[in-house]
Amino acid sequence: MHFFNSGLFWFLEGVFTCLTVIGFKIWMEDRGIPMPFWKWILLGIWVFFFGFTIAFIGTNLGEKEPKAALLGGIFFGLFAVITGVGLWRVLKIGKKS
Amino acid sequence: MDRRQFLKATGAASATMGSIGLGFFGYEAGRDPESYTGWETHEGAQQTFNRKRYARDYPHYKKVGPTSRADARTDVIFYRRGDFMRSWKDNTGIEGLPEHLQEYYRKHPDVLNQDLYLMKEIFPKQRADYRKYRDKFILASAWSNAMGAVSPTRINQPPEKSDFPSRRRFGDSSEPLKMKSAKKTSKLIKKIAHELGSTLVGIAKLNPDWVYLYPMRGRGFEPDKPLEVPKHWQYAIVVGTPMSWDPMYANPNYGTSNDAYSRSRIIAFRLASFIKQLGYAARPHTPGTDYDLMVPPIAVDAGLGEQGRHGIVITPELGCNIRPAVITTNLPLIPDKPIDIGIQSFCKTCKICAENCPSGAIPTGDRIEVRGYFRYQIDTAKCHTFWSSKLGNMGCRICVAVCPYTRKSNWLHKAALKVSVNDPTGISHSVLTGLQKRFYPGPDPQKYYIPSLGGENASYRPPPWWLRAEDFIEF
Ligand code: SF4
Ligand code: SF4
Repeated sequence: MHFFNSGLFWFLEGVFTCLTVIGFKIWMEDRGIPMPFWKWILLGIWVFFFGFTIAFIGTNLGEKEPKAALLGGIFFGLFAVITGVGLWRVLKIGKKS
Repeated sequence: MDRRQFLKATGAASATMGSIGLGFFGYEAGRDPESYTGWETHEGAQQTFNRKRYARDYPHYKKVGPTSRADARTDVIFYRRGDFMRSWKDNTGIEGLPEHLQEYYRKHPDVLNQDLYLMKEIFPKQRADYRKYRDKFILASAWSNAMGAVSPTRINQPPEKSDFPSRRRFGDSSEPLKMKSAKKTSKLIKKIAHELGSTLVGIAKLNPDWVYLYPMRGRGFEPDKPLEVPKHWQYAIVVGTPMSWDPMYANPNYGTSNDAYSRSRIIAFRLASFIKQLGYAARPHTPGTDYDLMVPPIAVDAGLGEQGRHGIVITPELGCNIRPAVITTNLPLIPDKPIDIGIQSFCKTCKICAENCPSGAIPTGDRIEVRGYFRYQIDTAKCHTFWSSKLGNMGCRICVAVCPYTRKSNWLHKAALKVSVNDPTGISHSVLTGLQKRFYPGPDPQKYYIPSLGGENASYRPPPWWLRAEDFIEF
């Protein structure tokens, strides 16, 4: 078993996620953007998809399938960017000036 | 509760939860099959798919008419072509062939043309290219031969002599031991098969339709006499192992069947020996050419998987990267049920194997009736002609390498499998096929051929570093 498929790795991923969520929450508060639960759900879905894209690229590189990594990276990556921009607009709803 | 008290209580709760969590972690770590070094070869750690959920009372192939049994002398391509090459003379033509071949070729003149084409057109070109390009594949060939170098002695006696335990081995008696229950025995046999190194194992009630009507030579049967299915061939245990993955993706030249053939063969012989030591009859039917029966439909009956468009059994764990062997026995067992994991629906839209097959042997159309059963039928003559034209290891296996089910066991492919086996609509099948075609394309099938036949000796994927002869040998 390697570090990157060990329990320790996933533990650290969990710690990083928690710290990211706390930091993001404070950042949004400072900008006056409210974060009701539905926004967190939308954000969670997007983060999951973004993570999938990164892992897809990595897995295909590991499998020596550079074409799949490239095409999948472009395809899913573009999708992530477009939906990310859309999501940011949605998150800004209710922003206090 | 004040702040200090709250923090203390939280600390105690966290300590309790953390301790319980550590206990679970330790338990999982203790029983994780990965903790057995070399675990892949035993413990059944790779037979992970929950087959019960997908079990059906009937297999996917349908009985659509009166059934008949295959004739190994003509339907098994190696045998037919071997006999044909040995006995064909230009001056006597078809009249000079053994009777069964004459009869067969009169019924199938197109097949005679294909067999002649191999002998007269393909072989001379193959021999010419062999001298020019063969060096590249020397390590692959050495490795393949090494994997095939160890093999149990062939069974060359009829079932009534070879299948039963000998008295000598058991002292005074060869009476079967009284087993407590068929259920327990099945569990035991599966465990032993895994311990012997079988990646997958399943049990079927033997359907006599799968036994050759005229058997292969060298198996102890009288030549040209129909084989009467012995009464003690009641159950069929199917074992199977995969071919090494990296060379398999570098087919048709660098991969070999010999590795998995040899493993499955040794496992089958050992399992047969185990059963005989319980006092029951057992006969191994093993790759490459020591069978009295057809293995793929038995693997389907035993619930290992479904037969794909390319004719090979597709399993949820290994895709079609599996080389199975069978042990027929009278040891009372509980058969497994066939499974339905949606392969028939997937194959309908996919066709990747057919599009990538250099010889055009895999049908693009629907299933047809073959000896009373409804299934896909590949053109074995075309397939074998391509095999015989190549310079690398014997065989081709491109259809194995390109099949979307033949993927490594990581999160990405496991997730795709999960989606596809649970989708009754077939929508995911089209999406996954589309992604597979765009993301994982192979070379133009013509490039797989040797240069004399208009190709480039291409492989589906580059060979692993340890089979690149040019990196190790001065030519
Ligand atoms: S082994 Fe090769 S030639 Fe034969 S059916 Fe498969 S892809 Fe076609
Ligand atoms: S490549 Fe596609 S069509 Fe061929 S056997 Fe595999 S899933 Fe079926």
